[in-house]
Amino acid sequence: MKRRQEILILVTVLVMSMGLAGAAAAGKIQQELTGESTIENALKRGVLRVGISTFVPWAMKDKTGKLIGFEIDVANRLAQDTGVEIEFVPTKWAGIIPALLTGKFDVIIGGMGILPQRNLKVNFTIPYDYSGMSIVAHKQLAAGFKRLEEFNRPEVKIAARLGSTAEMAVRKYMPQARLQLFDDESQVIQELRSGRVHAMVASAPLPTYLALENPEVLFLPLQETFTKEPIGFAVRKGDVDTLNYFNNWIRVVEAEGWLKERKQYWFNTKEWEKQLK
Amino acid sequence: MFEKKIKITVLDATVLLIVTAAGLYLVYRIQAGLHYRWHWSAIPQYLFRYDTVAGSWKPNVLVLGLLTTIRLSIWATALATIIGTVMGLLRVSSGLFNRLIGGTYVEIVRNLPPLVLVFIFYFFIGDQILPALGTERLVSGISGSGRSLLKVLFAPPALLVPFLSALVTLALFEGAYITEIVRSGIQSIEAGQWEAAAALGFTRSQQMRHIILPQAVQRILPPLAGQFISTIKDSAIVSVISIQELTFQGMELMATTYFTFEIWITITGLYLLLTLSCSLAVERLEIRLRKGRAVGRH
Repeated sequence: MKRRQEILILVTVLVMSMGLAGAAAAGKIQQELTGESTIENALKRGVLRVGISTFVPWAMKDKTGKLIGFEIDVANRLAQDTGVEIEFVPTKWAGIIPALLTGKFDVIIGGMGILPQRNLKVNFTIPYDYSGMSIVAHKQLAAGFKRLEEFNRPEVKIAARLGSTAEMAVRKYMPQARLQLFDDESQVIQELRSGRVHAMVASAPLPTYLALENPEVLFLPLQETFTKEPIGFAVRKGDVDTLNYFNNWIRVVEAEGWLKERKQYWFNTKEWEKQLK
Repeated sequence: MFEKKIKITVLDATVLLIVTAAGLYLVYRIQAGLHYRWHWSAIPQYLFRYDTVAGSWKPNVLVLGLLTTIRLSIWATALATIIGTVMGLLRVSSGLFNRLIGGTYVEIVRNLPPLVLVFIFYFFIGDQILPALGTERLVSGISGSGRSLLKVLFAPPALLVPFLSALVTLALFEGAYITEIVRSGIQSIEAGQWEAAAALGFTRSQQMRHIILPQAVQRILPPLAGQFISTIKDSAIVSVISIQELTFQGMELMATTYFTFEIWITITGLYLLLTLSCSLAVERLEIRLRKGRAVGRH
């Protein structure tokens, strides 16, 4: 009887010590995960690196070569609240996700629309902004076009930026139309202004600006945007610590009304335009 | 020397007329058909700007881009010359294994589109090598004066790592061509030189160092300088990996201002300014070397 009791105690002690070791290991893993999180590393370095891509009025260079725009304001405020310096890494849109994944920067704050397909490759924060697609067309080529269905024909050519949500929107809403893709927004715009395509699709408010700037060539077939998409920061997958920090930062500045105020400035006024040209 | 009289034939005049007419027609087409509003007056401010805070003129984005292009080209050519010399020597080595290494390098690089090579290096190799070397830690450890020196010679610390990976990529690419320049330079030395050196009792490495290379270098220099001009042109490729050189800066500017044609034309002018002046310098160098050789023979 006594023998059996001894064995029982021994087994209990063994099991318990194993459990403790497990708990200790879990603690260590947690520590490692936190230590390796993007935000922790940014704090250690004292610098947050942000990937952006030039797009009016989200992010653009002014006359002195300084970056300005809605995203730039957001990123600057984020860095300021975090207590780190900011470093912008201007990147071509088509290569921006691979650049994030290979660690060229910590986060994309570049007006990136949250799409399920994209979300399989990166993690998104909660939306800090909503955007929509809008279409601007050539006056002669697309004369009289008023509805999306009229663009959805094989003889209609539509230009958009490669890898953008505009591309997805054209594929979804105008699958019949011939889609032409370019690396930069400026190439897309030039294509339309030269009359080689009937229309271009881009995030609002760019199409509206274009129609206002070139009233003799371009017009807006639809007054409203035809999609609504949430915009979030993109970070590398599996980084819960960073994601949680960004999400709550967005909640805080949203509650303050700061995001709305900045959005008003960049999207509904054109005071900033004289800084550009 | 006789002064040659310049004679204009009917054919010359016709060709000139056709070319001028074609040029004028193109200008007319652009004006009439393109509906393009030109904004040339806006361009100079992107070259230089007046800094109201410092009260002086400062280079703006396009000139900064040009400077980055120059820095990138100089360093890439320097590194490529080292790679090319080593690989070129391997190419003419007596060992089969060495020749295979040199040959494989040249064949792989020369048979790949440079754009593909740039992406492969940027995303994979540059990304694995530079962090392993601890470049980033090294950079953040540098003090104030070192930082400004770094900025003048390479790139601002924030952009140094991408700059270095672009530099290495470009150097590996150009290195393949320099390898061939070095190889052909060495092989162009007459067999008699080798034989004479051997007859004097030199070992193979001594033959190479004292007899062959000094002569080969003279023949290598002009094409090497020409390769430098190629490097300047090829450096535009690295704009795809967001290196802030002239092409990238120009494209960024277009994305903001939509002055597409004005900016492309300005970029063309800036590249030509750079490459043509280098071409002129290379021509001078060739004439000088030829003279030097002629004097040397007497």
